[in-house]
Amino acid sequence: MVPPEWYLLLAAGVFCIGLFGVLTRRDALYFLMSVELMMNAANINFVAFALYYGDLTGQVFALFVIALAAAEVAIGIGIILVLYRNFGDTDVTVPTEMRW
Amino acid sequence: MVDAFAYVPAIVLLPFFSFVVALAAGRYLPKGGAFGGIAATAGSSLLSLWVLATVAGGEAYNETIYTWASAGGIGPTDIELTFGLLIDPLSALMLVIVTLVALLVHVFSLGYMNDEGETGLPRYYAGLGLFTASMLGFVVADNLLMAFMFFELVGLCSYLLIGFHFREEGPPSAAKKAFLVTRFGDYFFLVGVVAVLATFGTAQFAGDGSFPALADQALSGAGDVAWVPGGLELGTWFTIIGLLVLGGVVGKSAQFPLHTWLPDAMEGPTPVSALIHAATMVAAGVYLVARMFGFYALTPTTLAVIAFVGGFTALFAATMGVVKDELKQVLAYSTISQYGYMMLALGAGSYVAATFHLMTHAFFKALLFLGAGAVIIAMHHNENMWDMGGLKERMPVTYWTFLAGSLALAGIFPFAGFWSKDEILYEAFVHGLNDPLLLGGWVMGLLAVPVTAFYTFRMVFLTFHGEPRSELARDPEPVRWNVKGPLTVLGSLAVVAGLVNMVPVQKLLGIDGIDFLTQWLNNDFGGIDGVSYSAYNDLLATYGGYAPAELLGLSEELTLLVAAGLSLGLAVVGVLVAWRLYNVASPTEHTAKLGGIKDVLYNNYYLDELQVWTAYRTEDAAGGADTFDQGIIDGVVNGTSSVALAAGSRVRRIQTGLVTHYAAMLTLGLLALLVALGVSGGWFL
Repeated sequence: MVPPEWYLLLAAGVFCIGLFGVLTRRDALYFLMSVELMMNAANINFVAFALYYGDLTGQVFALFVIALAAAEVAIGIGIILVLYRNFGDTDVTVPTEMRW
Repeated sequence: MVDAFAYVPAIVLLPFFSFVVALAAGRYLPKGGAFGGIAATAGSSLLSLWVLATVAGGEAYNETIYTWASAGGIGPTDIELTFGLLIDPLSALMLVIVTLVALLVHVFSLGYMNDEGETGLPRYYAGLGLFTASMLGFVVADNLLMAFMFFELVGLCSYLLIGFHFREEGPPSAAKKAFLVTRFGDYFFLVGVVAVLATFGTAQFAGDGSFPALADQALSGAGDVAWVPGGLELGTWFTIIGLLVLGGVVGKSAQFPLHTWLPDAMEGPTPVSALIHAATMVAAGVYLVARMFGFYALTPTTLAVIAFVGGFTALFAATMGVVKDELKQVLAYSTISQYGYMMLALGAGSYVAATFHLMTHAFFKALLFLGAGAVIIAMHHNENMWDMGGLKERMPVTYWTFLAGSLALAGIFPFAGFWSKDEILYEAFVHGLNDPLLLGGWVMGLLAVPVTAFYTFRMVFLTFHGEPRSELARDPEPVRWNVKGPLTVLGSLAVVAGLVNMVPVQKLLGIDGIDFLTQWLNNDFGGIDGVSYSAYNDLLATYGGYAPAELLGLSEELTLLVAAGLSLGLAVVGVLVAWRLYNVASPTEHTAKLGGIKDVLYNNYYLDELQVWTAYRTEDAAGGADTFDQGIIDGVVNGTSSVALAAGSRVRRIQTGLVTHYAAMLTLGLLALLVALGVSGGWFL
């Protein structure tokens, strides 16, 4: 059996890739994908711990997160569409109206 | 039967509505809103008469209507701040007087303001309405705090009305002076109100839990008060409270040394002067003392001070009235002097005599002012008596009514003023034999009698008798019904009003039952327990040792006769001297022979200058207080807000609007949280 540390390391790596994407990418679509990666890193952790403790709660939680991610993508795409319609671009650094 | 007391709020609110209507829609109404005011005051008068009849039927009313704040007091009881109504014989009588005079003044204003083509009439009638409403609210107030609020409103209205002709130079300054001088007195009044609330936990005037009743119980050892500062004796502390409240009275009722605003207030339109002097503003002070007389009766020191100040003011103001050249100025000083008499009566413990004089004075002083207003219309607003003369034939209605008012003011038998003034002097005398301060007040009051008679008839003779001394006086402008009507009503009252309380006649001839006013205020018809003449007399006898003194073994009848004869004789002497000097075809300025004294009198004993001088001397203190207020008090408040503002304008710069920055901040926050957790969890050890 694969020891749980490996799963945790994999999850941490995926999370960091997602975080890097959020911090460096300017395109909103990459943003959305990066967020998706961070969520799945969390899912890996859930499932790994569920396996380790022999408790199904973590797996159920992972299913919930996947459903939530689907909803989030729907809203995220909607926002990106509106962004494009208003600014003619999906670059997140262009709209800065909501500042002081 | 419908309960009259349910309509008492309407008495106050009707003039208030006329104020609102005149203010909002006065310029679209005929006569600038005058009819609204007349209708409102007429309605109030009728309702007041109804209330008076109900009170005469043996009912009284003392209810709290609305509690607008309540808080824990210093003692065990909660302090409640309320609005309520107190209708007893005194306030019912006062309601009738105020509404009647206000109604007549409104009618007279048609002649004085509308017919003279004044501008700004809606403002004028709005002011009159609010003035009347405030005074009525003051009269029906059932507690000291409510009374204070309406007291202040009365002051505000006097400011607005005295400064009615605000484009001229004099009126705004006179209005400011009236406001500031009375405010100075009211400051002490406010401290007194707070002291009453803190001491007794209530400011109610009447009833079992009222503050005079509590004070009585505390002094007789049957009860205790919530708070007395610094281990003072109860009696001393009550005297201090009484004197504090008296500050407001001295300011409003124009007693020495805060009387200086009143002569200047003559800058206002004449009907306003009539209202201020007869029924509203100046009467408020005396009414307040009468209202809480149950409290003053417990503190003989305060009463003696009241009597002495009153007597002094009566004489002091009368001497200044002697040399004035302007009709309204003479009347102004006579008002101060007459209110001095009322204070003397209150100080002498004669609550009835003071109320009696308040009533008769309201009628004859309103009459004299309206008469003066008629003369001023006729003379095209020239008020100098040396330009008048001979108006007797040309304006007979005004002359005869004015003469009736003057006879009442001078205290000539059998006019109204004689009865009330005689009763005051008699009471002051019989009680004063035990108390030197009171006796001093009586002596000065007596000395003021001939002076009053002299200046009153100097005024009458200069104005109406002799030859006309100017073109204006030869051909005066005629006045209409709206001037003559009120004059006639008040003229009749000035003649007969004294008959409601013929105590001397009752005592001399033994006819019982003709001292209606005494019976009225004695709750013979009904009223509230503990708020009556006899209850006050018991208090006075217990605490002040007030008892009629035996005078040199003379019987009561003889004392009465001597006192009445003395005051009447002195008044007649005053009239005769005025007759001798001024009832000639072309009188000369006899007062000029007084030389330097005349200058002193003419300049009001230089008291105005003294007040200005004092103001300049205390400029530094005032400036210091201002610096403290602006710098420290306001500084703290402004400082707090400016720190918040500055900090906000720095911190808001982190809101860049760039979503990447927010993501970075989130990450940094997460990192910081992790590090903090790690440090506290001991990972890095």
